[in-house]
Amino acid sequence: MAEVSVTATLRERIKRLIVDSLHLDGTDPDSIEDGEPLFGEGLGLDSVDALELVVALEKEFGIKIKSNEMDRDAFSSVASLASFVEGRL
Amino acid sequence: MVRERCGPARRVAVTGVGAVSGFGWGIEPLWAGLSSGRAAIAGFGRFDHAGHRTHVAAEVPALPAALARRTSGRRLSIADRFALSAAFEALAAAGLPGDLAGEVAGVYFGSSTGGMWEGERFIAGLLTATPRLRTSLLASQQVNGPGDAVARRLGVSGPVETLSSACASGGLALGAALDALRAGEVDLALAGGADSLCEITYGGFNALRSVSEEPCRPFRAGRDGLSIGEGAVVLVLESEERALERGARPLAFLAGAGASCDAHHMTAPEPAGRGAAAAIRAALADAGLAPGEIDFVNAHATGTPLNDAAEWRAFVEVFGARAAGLPVTATKGSIGHLLGSSGAIEAVATVLCLRHGEVHPTPAGGEVDPELPVDLVLGSPRPLTARAALSTSLAFGGSNAALVFTRAGA
Repeated sequence: MAEVSVTATLRERIKRLIVDSLHLDGTDPDSIEDGEPLFGEGLGLDSVDALELVVALEKEFGIKIKSNEMDRDAFSSVASLASFVEGRL
Repeated sequence: MVRERCGPARRVAVTGVGAVSGFGWGIEPLWAGLSSGRAAIAGFGRFDHAGHRTHVAAEVPALPAALARRTSGRRLSIADRFALSAAFEALAAAGLPGDLAGEVAGVYFGSSTGGMWEGERFIAGLLTATPRLRTSLLASQQVNGPGDAVARRLGVSGPVETLSSACASGGLALGAALDALRAGEVDLALAGGADSLCEITYGGFNALRSVSEEPCRPFRAGRDGLSIGEGAVVLVLESEERALERGARPLAFLAGAGASCDAHHMTAPEPAGRGAAAAIRAALADAGLAPGEIDFVNAHATGTPLNDAAEWRAFVEVFGARAAGLPVTATKGSIGHLLGSSGAIEAVATVLCLRHGEVHPTPAGGEVDPELPVDLVLGSPRPLTARAALSTSLAFGGSNAALVFTRAGA
């Protein structure tokens, strides 16, 4: 139970971080689905957004992300990002 | 830009214009403001100027709600938004769609600041107690930002160039568009520029003591500096032939362009105005006109002691005895100095004067300097059905651009 709620909180934090750091004015963080594609389709973020997001994630969670880790799998959705971040904490 | 004529050259028409200035968003507020004899130069709120010697500028008013959606975009700089608004307006005025994917079109822009403001915000973010690295601001800080944004949004797939040669940029950009159209490289050119108020430029000109504490007073006795402005402008240019074929009415013709350099000093103009005279002569030759055929001049006229004096000498060299009687307007007295895009917005002011049959006034205030006895149109518009007009841009650093426009029939 504790583990599920930690993941849920982490996903919420990441959604808020996406909206804030990328200035997605008018987007409610809760409206972003856990499994929704972030790049290309879905939320429609691009490569510049990816750079911005990495900076925000590093700062928020005190982790370091290497360029070659910024791949499609880890960054494809909020759920995959949360797993990635959790593995680094 | 001086070229030999081999047979009838295709005339290049201005078929649509759009603008953003201290008078507001649109050509209508620009022309109304210019005609009124008011200055759009006053206190401004873009940034804290308490530490500077001067406290006025020609700031663009807040974005009207009606334009917000069309000019919105997460990584657009302020200057990008100005440029997009001007581009949409110009295309609509020219009777063209907002998607130019089917056209052989190019964008030719002039700018000094581009996304400089956004670059300044990026640095400011790094220098706070909790440094923030905002990559998106970096993405929009380039000087070519506005021209590129216009091309992207309108689907332009031809050449997209941004020229940056200080105050001559806009004039040079129009010259580049003219060359490209004459050469048949493009069928349609969107020429113009965009600049926004920045701390580097405002502070920089202040550090050089080039800025007046009051709204600038070009060609006046006791003038003491320029006023900074911001905004954007786009002119739609195409061959006269093509315009008529598609039922578009030319507003004016861009008949010629000329350029030169003073090769003199990093900031001061060559005092005898020889470089400026050379650019004017080149533009006249390119247009196939004699100096005597110019009916009014839209002068560079920043209001600095040195520029206006040198510019007068250039007029004397080119126009001789006529110089003292030639109507002159100084658009910077109304909307300030837009730096890189000034040559382009003043080209539009020139086109509007030709179109409306009147030379717009410069705001009244003080006597014309007797050392530079120009016939400055002051206070209210001067009715004048001009056939041909000259627009000059004499840049900081010595680059000079001159454009000749001719009237289109009724």
